[in-house]
Amino acid sequence: MRPRSVGRVEFEAVWKKFRTGELHNRLRDFIPAMVSRAFRGRPADGALGGGEFWAVRDVSFTLGPGDALGIIGPNGAGKSTVLKLLTRILRPTHGRCLTQGRVGVLIEVAAGFHPDLTGRENIFLQGAIMGMPRKEILRKFDEIVAFSGVEWFLDTPVKRYSSGMHTRLGFAIAAHLDPDVLIIDEALAVGDAAFQRKAFARITELARSNIPVVVVSHQLETIARLCTEAILMSQGAVVRRGTPQECIVAYLAAEHNSSQARLAPTAVVIEELRVEPGESVASGEWTTITLICSISGPGPSDSEAIGIRIRSAESGEPVFETTTLSLGYDLPKSGRFSLTLELQLNLPSGVYPVESFVWNRMAGRELGGGPGGAVRVEGGPEFEGTVQMNARARLELRAF
Amino acid sequence: MIEPTEKALARGPGSFSLPEGGERASIVTDLRAIASDLVAFRELLVELTIRDIRIRYKQAVMGVFWAILTPLVLLLSGWILRLAFGRLSGEAPNDAAMAGLAVKSLGWAFFVGALGFGTASITANLSLVTKTYFPREILPLASVLTQLVDAGIGTVALVLALPFFSVHLSIAFLWVIPLVCMLIMITTGAVLLGSCANVFFRDAKHLVQLVLSFGIFFTPVFFDLDAFGPVGARIAMLNPLAPVLEGLRLAVVHGHNLLQPLTSAHGDYLVWAPWYLGYAAIWAVVLLGASAVIFHRSEFVFAEYV
Repeated sequence: MRPRSVGRVEFEAVWKKFRTGELHNRLRDFIPAMVSRAFRGRPADGALGGGEFWAVRDVSFTLGPGDALGIIGPNGAGKSTVLKLLTRILRPTHGRCLTQGRVGVLIEVAAGFHPDLTGRENIFLQGAIMGMPRKEILRKFDEIVAFSGVEWFLDTPVKRYSSGMHTRLGFAIAAHLDPDVLIIDEALAVGDAAFQRKAFARITELARSNIPVVVVSHQLETIARLCTEAILMSQGAVVRRGTPQECIVAYLAAEHNSSQARLAPTAVVIEELRVEPGESVASGEWTTITLICSISGPGPSDSEAIGIRIRSAESGEPVFETTTLSLGYDLPKSGRFSLTLELQLNLPSGVYPVESFVWNRMAGRELGGGPGGAVRVEGGPEFEGTVQMNARARLELRAF
Repeated sequence: MIEPTEKALARGPGSFSLPEGGERASIVTDLRAIASDLVAFRELLVELTIRDIRIRYKQAVMGVFWAILTPLVLLLSGWILRLAFGRLSGEAPNDAAMAGLAVKSLGWAFFVGALGFGTASITANLSLVTKTYFPREILPLASVLTQLVDAGIGTVALVLALPFFSVHLSIAFLWVIPLVCMLIMITTGAVLLGSCANVFFRDAKHLVQLVLSFGIFFTPVFFDLDAFGPVGARIAMLNPLAPVLEGLRLAVVHGHNLLQPLTSAHGDYLVWAPWYLGYAAIWAVVLLGASAVIFHRSEFVFAEYV
């Protein structure tokens, strides 16, 4: 075994500046640019020049053994830039970022493959790129090959591999790196369903092996399952930090609000959303959600309705959705009113964000959003899966 | 979308203290960092060199013959030139001239091959550079090593062929060791500069292409120094590759001790002075050191530029 070092990740007030637009990548453009820079002076590092922006603003975190950080946020929030800073592909403009120990990266696991080389040759090449000495690869060679399931094609150039075989082999190499720090970015969708399960099991095993882990993923379920803490990023800055579930709820609520902002104006305004009881609810018990609304202007048409949607914080997918229309109620034409919904939470434990919205049947779309909230489901009867089906069992003996 | 607070957006990093190193990296610390990086990633350097060699011989009919093809073609071109000029001057190329041509062709082929492949090495491995970390020096160095393997094969072929040119190796052959070291250092320096420049300026490769196509006319490969006359010989020697290639020819073919000056057979002027060695050595050290530092300082932005 190689000597292990204690993995550690430190990100201290890191800023990263990027520029948009074309760079001077011809000597012909460079010389005039240098001359103008010499006369006008170089902009200070802290300031933004023309066409520049901060891709990462003042991000800090420290991870030791056993800490698993999930980074979530919309596209362009700076998540991938943070990973590139962590893996030393990019250098911060300001601040300090440090990773200690061998860094295992599950991003682009087949980036080093050369199409003309065989699988066997590529294992050694890719392994070296990831920082594995030849001896170590030799020792783990059979394991890697068995994991990837490409035994038959080991001596075939990888250009003849299917894309699934390609990534499976890449993942197998990365998964046997034995890292001190693990960094994961959307590398989880590898191969077919069976291989994905195997890959996810391997990732979980690595992530639980008492090393610092950083995960960036749009699969919120992955974050919820792997991470001990999370940050939510937006426009390069950390806007929330906390448990994975807290950040996921904040992220989904923010997504919901931003998608509502662009919708058509409506006469119905949802003022308040109340969830009772406020704390947690045991699985299988009931919760009461109250919407308080007001009508302004000429009043809603018959095709308008209000509704709620409950999502799974793990996957972000809706688990339940209903509207006054489907429940058989018409909205009043003016004044204030409240809508009370009682729901039985036949759900496994977890956090479930609740959204409210105004819906138009004729247009077949949402007209506007309202406030959101969350339900926390805890304990309850033991079951596996996503829905409580309240199984009734009967055991009888039969004679053949 | 959650908006970061206005304060967070407006706040530049200048408005609070930054944990910055502050001290500017000196050349010594840079060189030390390069050395420790190369030691740490030596396995990758070897693997990438093996990769480049393997790829070249995959699906290639001629196999190892490729390694000596370029110097052989150079030798042939030189022979034709010499033959043509020999008709004018009435001096046909003799065995020694041919052997000298072969030695210098081999050296020049190494330089040209390494510069050609090395300049493109970073941009050709885009996916590696933008997706994984390793010291970027590895890529151009692997190109140099690949060419070095070819040059090694060529050297074996040349040593086997030398007796047929009635050249017998003397103790002066040992000069080959420092001279080859200088050749490798100068080549590596040029390759590091070329590959680095090619990341930032895509037209750098055209400049390199010019050197590759016409550099041979500014370097004494096809001709020996005494063909240039007293002033021309000195000017030609300004090119750092000139003393290296000429030194190789004199030591291998003529068994000349390079610590002794040599006068031209055509007249009373020097075609070799011992200080040429020092001149080439200074070039080798300064070029390699400077290019390594320049490369090292700019490699961190490669992923943003390529």
